[in-house]
Amino acid sequence: MGSHYLSRRILQAILTIAGIVLLNFVLFRMMPGSPDRISHNPNASSEARAAIRARWGLDAPLFPDQFVAYLEATAQGDFGQSFKFKGKDVTEVIAGRIWPTLILFGLGELIAIVVGLVLGAYSGWKRGGVVDYAGNGASLILYSMPYFLLGMILLVIFATALGWFPTAGMFELGRTYPTFLDQVADFVHHLILPLAAVSLGLIGQYSIVMRSSIIETRGEDYVTTAKAKGISESRVLRGHAVPNALLPTVSLIGINLGFIIAGAITVEVVFSWPGLGTLTQEALEARDYPVLQAIFLILAITVVLANLLADIVYGRLDPRVRT
Amino acid sequence: MSADPTAIGAVRRPPGRWALRLAGWRDFARRFLRRPEGLIGILIIGFFAVLALVPSLFVGPLELVTSSSGGRLEPPSWAHVLGTDNLGRDVLNLTVHGARISMLIGFLATLVTVVIGASLGIVSGFVGGSTDTIIMRITDFFLVLPTFVLALILAPIVLEIIGNGEILGMRTTLFVIVIVIGITSWSTTARIIRSQTLSVKERAFVDRARVIGAGHWHTMRVHILPNVTGLIVANAVLVFAGAILTETTLAFIGLGDPFAPSWGQILGASQDAGAPGLGAWWWYVSPGVCIVLVVLAFTLIGGALDDLLNPKARGHR
Amino acid sequence: MSIDPTPAEPPPLATPEPSVRPRRTLPKLADPDAPLLVVEDLKTYFTLESGTVKAVDGVSFRLEQGEALGIAGESGCGKTTTALSLVRILPSNGRIVGGSIKLMGIDLVPKSDNALRRYRWREISIVFQGAMNALNPVQRVRDQVAEPIEQRLGASSAEARKRAGELLELVGIPRARGAAYPHQLSGGMRQRAMIAMALACDPALVIGDEPTTALDVMVQAQILKLLEDLRAKLGLSLILITHDLSVIAETCDRVMVMYAGRVAEEGPVSEVFTRPRHPYTQKLLAAFPNIHADRRTLEVIPGSPPDLRDPPPGCRFAPRCSLAMDVCTTVVPPEATFGAVRVACHLYPPAEAEAAAQVAGVGDLAVGAEAAS
Repeated sequence: MGSHYLSRRILQAILTIAGIVLLNFVLFRMMPGSPDRISHNPNASSEARAAIRARWGLDAPLFPDQFVAYLEATAQGDFGQSFKFKGKDVTEVIAGRIWPTLILFGLGELIAIVVGLVLGAYSGWKRGGVVDYAGNGASLILYSMPYFLLGMILLVIFATALGWFPTAGMFELGRTYPTFLDQVADFVHHLILPLAAVSLGLIGQYSIVMRSSIIETRGEDYVTTAKAKGISESRVLRGHAVPNALLPTVSLIGINLGFIIAGAITVEVVFSWPGLGTLTQEALEARDYPVLQAIFLILAITVVLANLLADIVYGRLDPRVRT
Repeated sequence: MSADPTAIGAVRRPPGRWALRLAGWRDFARRFLRRPEGLIGILIIGFFAVLALVPSLFVGPLELVTSSSGGRLEPPSWAHVLGTDNLGRDVLNLTVHGARISMLIGFLATLVTVVIGASLGIVSGFVGGSTDTIIMRITDFFLVLPTFVLALILAPIVLEIIGNGEILGMRTTLFVIVIVIGITSWSTTARIIRSQTLSVKERAFVDRARVIGAGHWHTMRVHILPNVTGLIVANAVLVFAGAILTETTLAFIGLGDPFAPSWGQILGASQDAGAPGLGAWWWYVSPGVCIVLVVLAFTLIGGALDDLLNPKARGHR
Repeated sequence: MSIDPTPAEPPPLATPEPSVRPRRTLPKLADPDAPLLVVEDLKTYFTLESGTVKAVDGVSFRLEQGEALGIAGESGCGKTTTALSLVRILPSNGRIVGGSIKLMGIDLVPKSDNALRRYRWREISIVFQGAMNALNPVQRVRDQVAEPIEQRLGASSAEARKRAGELLELVGIPRARGAAYPHQLSGGMRQRAMIAMALACDPALVIGDEPTTALDVMVQAQILKLLEDLRAKLGLSLILITHDLSVIAETCDRVMVMYAGRVAEEGPVSEVFTRPRHPYTQKLLAAFPNIHADRRTLEVIPGSPPDLRDPPPGCRFAPRCSLAMDVCTTVVPPEATFGAVRVACHLYPPAEAEAAAQVAGVGDLAVGAEAAS
């Protein structure tokens, strides 16, 4: 069951990734002074430069030779060398920055999905109630606020003024840890504020989407049927309204993902969290195009895969698309 | 207001129709303003629009490093109601002038987005066939793409290509931001307008127009466009909110123009100078509040418009 | 708690014989001698920004155990609102503002929402119109049938599923099809599933709200046949809401014709359909070809039902009635009874009605008057 729906979605994702790779190539060639810029990397020796020219086929025609060379390199995860981090491979520069971002946003998404959906479902169901007014008001304000601004406000209150949390970084500089647990504790201590900023921002988004979805579902005939069955209100909500309201919510979360993640990486900048967000800003300042492009490729593919995941979840929730 | 340019082209048609349409709009405006969120939104936007139009009237000319009026990082006082930044510039002065930059970029970016999105949507829905398929594939691609990250890369590239200076009396940095936001965020608009076009197309009068022998272009402009205008406006309002947020984020992360500071650029500068760590909250709280208010206002207006245009969402049972 | 007449403990479901029905038990405080349902002067209003809609405005009727009552009328005349008021499944802006609903002698109107919940489905269940929308699209049909058994009768989920399977078979759906989702079933099958669901708790009364409207004619006939069979087999009490008079003629014992939130005429089907007294009933019957096959012309009732925010002061049908007199526009017509038939029309003053009923030819007068129009 569902193989048709699923294979269609997977094919779509593959095509999209192919499009992204192609777009990345075009951007690569659009770069000012490109493709010579790659070979004129100020940090490279003349032999290295010759090697790079050969590697990228820069003396050969753009198509197919350079394109093929680009594809080969990309497939091997070779994005060339960073301008800023002298002579380092882009892959190496990025590798160290992925997991802080993954932890921050993985946890943030998880918290936001649970809290946001529950809050949204409840406010939508009790439309016009106290929770609805307070929750929806707060959600609207959070939704209207850039993530980094939320971060800056949390930072000045809880780190600078109250001193409850550190202001920057992932670990305390120069500190040695007697046990691994101490290290984890320090990490969590640093994590809490940026995590709060990311989750709160996302909660605003998700609860707004879920709320309006529930309000729409509330008027459906099957909810009336469920009420007529005399089952408890919470069962009507959990058993009938929520499973249906989740459908548009899941696809909206999938579609908004690219925008959300991109906006949310700015939180890292505020807290000097050493992930892809701060790397993006550093690379942007130094106009380190190879790094920027690799980040674009990684984030774009991540978003496509996350969308695919949303589609799969949707398929599991809605029997109608499976057949 | 926005109906005027189209009205000029419609002079030769029977006058009753536009009078009718105008009456319809007036009725719609009345119902809109009766909704509290619609009224609040309009008031907020009106306030900032006035600031954006004549900032110097309220706070004098934009303060530069050379013309700063205070000391470094002064907290709010009677002389500087919102304090000063690290260069001694008055934050109130910066914020009011920031309204002009932010609103202008937001407006132009919305214009570009909506023009691209609406025309692609109308053409795609109206022409159909393989044109439709191709346009929608591209739209889907842009829908999934993390367009913000794309904008992040495109902006410096385009800037380096066209170089610094002025285009149409606007600093190129700002111009590039407008273009980049425009070409990366039209996809949602295109989707929405396409589906509305499809349903309008089904209505009989378009068929009648085709039978008479009107060309595609004429039919789209005269019959489809007026019927999707409401939706375009509602969508534009939400696009405006998104454009302000995107501009803010781009400027924050370093793509702003220090010589034409938008709210996002002020926030970015305060972050770079470590304002949160120094406890200089006044530097970024006021531009921040402005951003939240403007985005909130547009969201409220968009929600109210959506409610009025799409009564199903009101949920009767 | 003890004040609330809660339904008694359901009988154990795991009876040895594959009986589909738990034995019926009456709610506590129920009067076994009272009629099944007595509705008196029911008023249900909706509040809109633009005013109060008097959707149901003083409706009275009764239903005996095992009886089938058809409620007829144009759309928007309050049929569905009347039925939904019985179990108070109203939109959030709707409220019962007066009258009483006595189920086996227990008045449901003053009950709190929570207390009333116990009567829903257990005592009164509903077969909604358009089963496509009334069934939850993301839940298996069998689970939707089993839900009230599990939730309301306290059966285990295995028992509930087993009984759901039996119910599905009872309405003609193969047990295995219960695993299907609503979109995988045909319209007729979905409606059968709705009926199985309505029977789940063996309710005292089943309300059919246009149960056959969305179906094509063949399937309509099958569903009606099913309802008739079930009525014979289970002794169901039924309220059938429909604008299709032929459905009522085939299925019901009595008919109640509603117009603009009020009862126009009510009585045994055989009597009302052969000798309609109220001008509205006459027009309604004239608009249907298959009841009076000898009629050559189909009539259309000119105009449309009144705006219930501001209904006409006298008889609500007066503006559309070809027989309207001066009194009709100012005075609400009182009810006259002709044997088992009730009519609210100024053509039949109550004082004279009883006497007139003795005289043959009252019906002829009405039919004659209508023919003259």
